[in-house]
Amino acid sequence: MKPTIDGLKNKRLLWQASQVGAAQKTLPSGFEVLDKHLQGGLPEQGVVDVSTAIGIGELRLLLPSFVLRQQSSERLLVFIAPPVHLNGPMLLKLGFDLSRILIIEPQNAKDALWSAEQCLKSGCCDGLFLWQQSLAIHQAKRLQFAAETGGALSIIVRQKTNEHFSLPVSLTMNFTAAPEGINVTVTKRKGGSHSEPFVVNMVKVWPELTHRLSTENVLPLATIHSLTG
Amino acid sequence: MHSLWLYLHFPNLQLDSYAIEEPDASLPRVILDSHSGIVQLNQAARHVGIKTHMSLGTAAALHRDLQVLPSSPKIEKQQLNLIAQRLYLIASDICFFSPQGLLLRVHNMLRLYGSLDALWGMIKKQLAPLNVDFFYASGHSPLAAKLLALRGWNKVTEQHDVILTALKKVDLTVTDLTAKDVGKLNSVGVKTVEQLFAIPFGELAKRFESHVITYLGQLRGEFNHPVEFFHPVEHFQQHIELLYEIERSDVLLRPIQHLLTSLESFLLLRDELTQQLHLTLYQRGKDPLEVHIGSQQGEYRAKHWSALLTLRFESLILNAPIVAIQLATGKTFVRCPDKHDLFLGKQGAVSRLQLVSLLSAKLGENALFSPSTVNDYRPECASQYTSALEIKESHPEYHQSLRPSLLLPVPVILCEAVSIMHGPERISTGWWDHHPIVRDYFIAMSQNGQWFWVFKTPEKQWFLHGIFS
Repeated sequence: MKPTIDGLKNKRLLWQASQVGAAQKTLPSGFEVLDKHLQGGLPEQGVVDVSTAIGIGELRLLLPSFVLRQQSSERLLVFIAPPVHLNGPMLLKLGFDLSRILIIEPQNAKDALWSAEQCLKSGCCDGLFLWQQSLAIHQAKRLQFAAETGGALSIIVRQKTNEHFSLPVSLTMNFTAAPEGINVTVTKRKGGSHSEPFVVNMVKVWPELTHRLSTENVLPLATIHSLTG
Repeated sequence: MHSLWLYLHFPNLQLDSYAIEEPDASLPRVILDSHSGIVQLNQAARHVGIKTHMSLGTAAALHRDLQVLPSSPKIEKQQLNLIAQRLYLIASDICFFSPQGLLLRVHNMLRLYGSLDALWGMIKKQLAPLNVDFFYASGHSPLAAKLLALRGWNKVTEQHDVILTALKKVDLTVTDLTAKDVGKLNSVGVKTVEQLFAIPFGELAKRFESHVITYLGQLRGEFNHPVEFFHPVEHFQQHIELLYEIERSDVLLRPIQHLLTSLESFLLLRDELTQQLHLTLYQRGKDPLEVHIGSQQGEYRAKHWSALLTLRFESLILNAPIVAIQLATGKTFVRCPDKHDLFLGKQGAVSRLQLVSLLSAKLGENALFSPSTVNDYRPECASQYTSALEIKESHPEYHQSLRPSLLLPVPVILCEAVSIMHGPERISTGWWDHHPIVRDYFIAMSQNGQWFWVFKTPEKQWFLHGIFS
């Protein structure tokens, strides 16, 4: 390949027809399979609507991307209305700078949406997680607009529901539990098409939290000490 | 150089303080003193025939919608203080000479302003936005200026003979001499200042007490007259009495806007910012309500504070009507300009601290947190929520085992069938601070594929403590 073409590609002045997602800037998610299916990764800004059960690895799938985002900018990561407390040691271990994490626990859903909009459009937040069960179309539009204004990525985490209408957001995904990781279905993507369900394998990253290796029950040394001691 | 003083007499201080918050004065309004009857009245009141020193009954008979307010020396003092603060910007030596008057030393300011007219122009310009009535006069001694101002001379001049001529015409009854002394002087045919000046000191000293001589000497500028000059306060504090009781918090914002505007000019002139405003709302018959508003990033602009206040007032419950408002600042500090990195790329309109202030104004102080870690083996102690964005060092972890991302603040009894995938990890600690725990932690998977962090106590009870989200 000619170096000039490479240069043009790097400047995003030239792209191939296969890269449909080039119109929308993306950032790697930290999982190759997911990046491949999303043609680059999670959107750089906008709203991602995620339907998932709690505790199946949804944060483990999404957080690595936000670690990268936090490392590349000086901005904040905001968690709004998490179902229970976030565990500080875990966030630290994932590589987050805890002093740039803001947790908001509003009284009601209305305040939660208000805070989300304020954070997104402020321009000083890079990413935002919002646990919010119901979201009307106009609310989603406002969040999407605020996220584009402030250049932030917002993830809305919702329990799986039977709501059939789709929200006007950048990306809609469905997560279900899978033994070796997590099962992802891309329902809707701006500038792309939906995909067949695929499995993101987490065996390497989270050996303890996947099914495949469960037979190799390796105890940490400290545990053995505490058992024997 | 001759000394030159300027005296400003404000006859309607209290009435003017109400006019700031409500300029519409179509109704007659008077200030009533319990001893001397009506002491201050507005133009509308004068129009219907009310005069000073009239009794309340007579005044009320003249107009049925007469507004009567009790006289309050406290309000007058605050108002005078406010005026002094404004004048301090252009004149260095200001003295609270009487409850309704300010004395300015002007001869040392003349070199700065070039001429007396220029200085007087500046003073008038400073006083204009306050909308206060005043009489003024210049004099070569503080008392001469005061006397001429009280008489309503309303002239500013440096010429000694002009001042002296005007002074000589003044009747003795206007002076600060006691009624007894004036009566004595009158009985010997001395009725005006001119006649008094004609008598030599020696003659007077024989027949009158020393304070008359002192007064006369100070009036003529021959005796030294020590005065104490005003020093501006370091912190902003302003109090307004409301003409009407206010029951709704949205209506309350209007009078507060005045306070915020004067706060803005106060801080702007000093190039200072503040992070805290203390607003005291005096409720009728109840304890005053304290409202504190914080802006993490120091701020002086009225617009910004008013936006925060609007949010704060949304959740404010007033128990009784508000009769007065006081605004004070917390610590102030000198502003240092915001430094933006040119190469950091796109920057938001709002800074991090501004965002936190905005959120906490609406949601309250107890809704914003930052996670932090503490060096403790007990999981619920190791993870703490602290106040938002406080810069601190995170403690290094000395255990490397897997921890869940979501942690229940209080473990709950496990009521779901799970299969144990990993474990146990025994945590037996805390015996030293009376919160001992003995737990065997397991990583477990529910039938729906959710990953839980559960533990078993020595009593063989199972609890859910975390979720590997």
